[in-house]
Amino acid sequence: MRLVPLRYTVRSLVVRWSPSLFSALGIGLTVAVLGGVLALREGFRSLLAETGSDDVVVYLRPGAQSEGESIVRHPQDTNVLKARPEVVVEGNVPLAAAESYLGLKLPRTDGSGTTIVTVRGVEIPVSMRIQGPKWRLVEGKEPRPGSDEVVVGRPLTTRIVGCKVGETLTFNVTPFKVVGVFVHDGAYASEIWGDVDRICAALERPFRQRLVAKVKEGTDVAALEKQLESDKQVPVKAQTERAYFRAQTTALGNVLQFLAGILTTLMGAAAVLGAVNTMLAAVGARTREVGILMSIGYRRFPVFFCFLVEAAAIGLVGGVLGAVLVLPFNGLQTSTTNWNTFTEIAFAFRVTPTILATSVVVAVVLGLLGGAVPAWRASRLVPTAALRRL
Amino acid sequence: MATGDGTLLARMRGVTRVYRRGGQDLRVLDGLDLDVERGDFLALMGPSGSGKSTILNLLGGLDRPDAGTIDVEGTEITGLSSDALAAWRARHVGFVFQAFNLIPVLTALENVELPLLLTPLSRAKRREHAQYALEIVGLKDRMDHRPKQLSGGQEQRVAIARAIATDPTMVLADEPTGDLDRASADAVLDILTRLVSEHGKTVAMVTHDPAAAKCAKRLLHLEKGVLVEQGTTHGA
Repeated sequence: MRLVPLRYTVRSLVVRWSPSLFSALGIGLTVAVLGGVLALREGFRSLLAETGSDDVVVYLRPGAQSEGESIVRHPQDTNVLKARPEVVVEGNVPLAAAESYLGLKLPRTDGSGTTIVTVRGVEIPVSMRIQGPKWRLVEGKEPRPGSDEVVVGRPLTTRIVGCKVGETLTFNVTPFKVVGVFVHDGAYASEIWGDVDRICAALERPFRQRLVAKVKEGTDVAALEKQLESDKQVPVKAQTERAYFRAQTTALGNVLQFLAGILTTLMGAAAVLGAVNTMLAAVGARTREVGILMSIGYRRFPVFFCFLVEAAAIGLVGGVLGAVLVLPFNGLQTSTTNWNTFTEIAFAFRVTPTILATSVVVAVVLGLLGGAVPAWRASRLVPTAALRRL
Repeated sequence: MATGDGTLLARMRGVTRVYRRGGQDLRVLDGLDLDVERGDFLALMGPSGSGKSTILNLLGGLDRPDAGTIDVEGTEITGLSSDALAAWRARHVGFVFQAFNLIPVLTALENVELPLLLTPLSRAKRREHAQYALEIVGLKDRMDHRPKQLSGGQEQRVAIARAIATDPTMVLADEPTGDLDRASADAVLDILTRLVSEHGKTVAMVTHDPAAAKCAKRLLHLEKGVLVEQGTTHGA
């Protein structure tokens, strides 16, 4: 079957550029919102899932979904775990650290109330060494082991009161001096780190929440997980840091995905109505041309397809506009509450090629939805009646 | 009376067409019979609303009768589906309208090429045919112009080129000179006459213009749904 030439479609679009562009803009804004939420979700997901290491293992209480719910007895169990054969040992020191974890309510600098910030008790300097080059001190110094000193993640210095070097944070009734600022290329970027013994003493916690260890190359973590779950001496849940973080993204990730779906559906419906309006106007303005095409011998389907392609082209332009609108968000820092741990977490929008492609595809689909009915109407016109139309 | 080459091209028998307007049935054609010979140039005249254009539309497969048969070159077109009828139109009919009906966003050449796109011709052959059709109407030098850049007479000549580009069985012209000044109208009529005399085309034309009617070989008058043969003219 011969189709109506594409140049007719393209030139008709150009002639009616103004309504076409507004329709495209409506679709573009819709997919920009979709792309933005997806970029938010991707930034959150990648921060937690992609920056975790496969050669770092997290040991939690069996059944615990996160370290907040986990308890590891200290020092009896933590010492046993540190001595496990898979743990890397450097100069007689096992690269394993028993850490505590607590979300504390701290005031925001912008006066908008409080937010929950993770305070992590770490073993200095082993915890830092386990993280390797991902953890870097960018200001001040590391806390001394056994001291009431802390270092804070850089995003907190501007967001949370008392997080600048030289200032003091009080946990319970114990003041801790901020002596340094660190950055972390991953999930620990927005935390406060201090000596685990001092933090636990201040927070009156006689236990630890997890043990984290660098494991030897070639360690079969899946087998380890199975073995340790039913270990008679110290049963624990062992998983790689990457797997642990991936599990931490589910709640907020699902909410963001749901939000993206709802927003796209609502805005998409409006955008589709806009496209329907534009395409109905296009068919109305070109009714006589439809009659001409039919009188020449073009069948109904080519006429239908011609207008559908036009609608898809509007969608495509909208998709590109949407992609252009969402691109500047790439790398933009934001923060939110991780719904798995209920702590503040800072991360950046991440606009990936997949998100851009998704936005463009959704835009084209919206265009097609908007164009289907007008295109069908065009194809059902009676040639003699269409030719009479002025 | 034989005004064509003596062979029958189209036969309309008992054709009735009723339009529903304002809740009332308007019987425009009522049991009309018409034979068209190959190579004929017939002019249909009559008052407005008498059904002249309806005859052309029915003969060209743009409209369907409520009763009766229309046979063109052995094909009973009233029984064809809308898609089959469209394909039939593409092969057999070239339309020329009073309002020219060119596609405004396409150039003269592209407008003429439109029906050729429905044929299996190669791109080069299509172009060749389109240019030849424009040459016949004397507009080869204006082929890259859009309709807005042409005069009314030139637009109608492009429309005629489009109508003949695929070498159709018949050309159906609905008041082709209705929107033109005398000089342009004469040029268009000259082309239609040459299509019949030099290229052997069959042309059926609706007109109110006595000068145009004079160019035809056969003149038919339609009044109150009844065709009256007015005889041959001096034309062609």
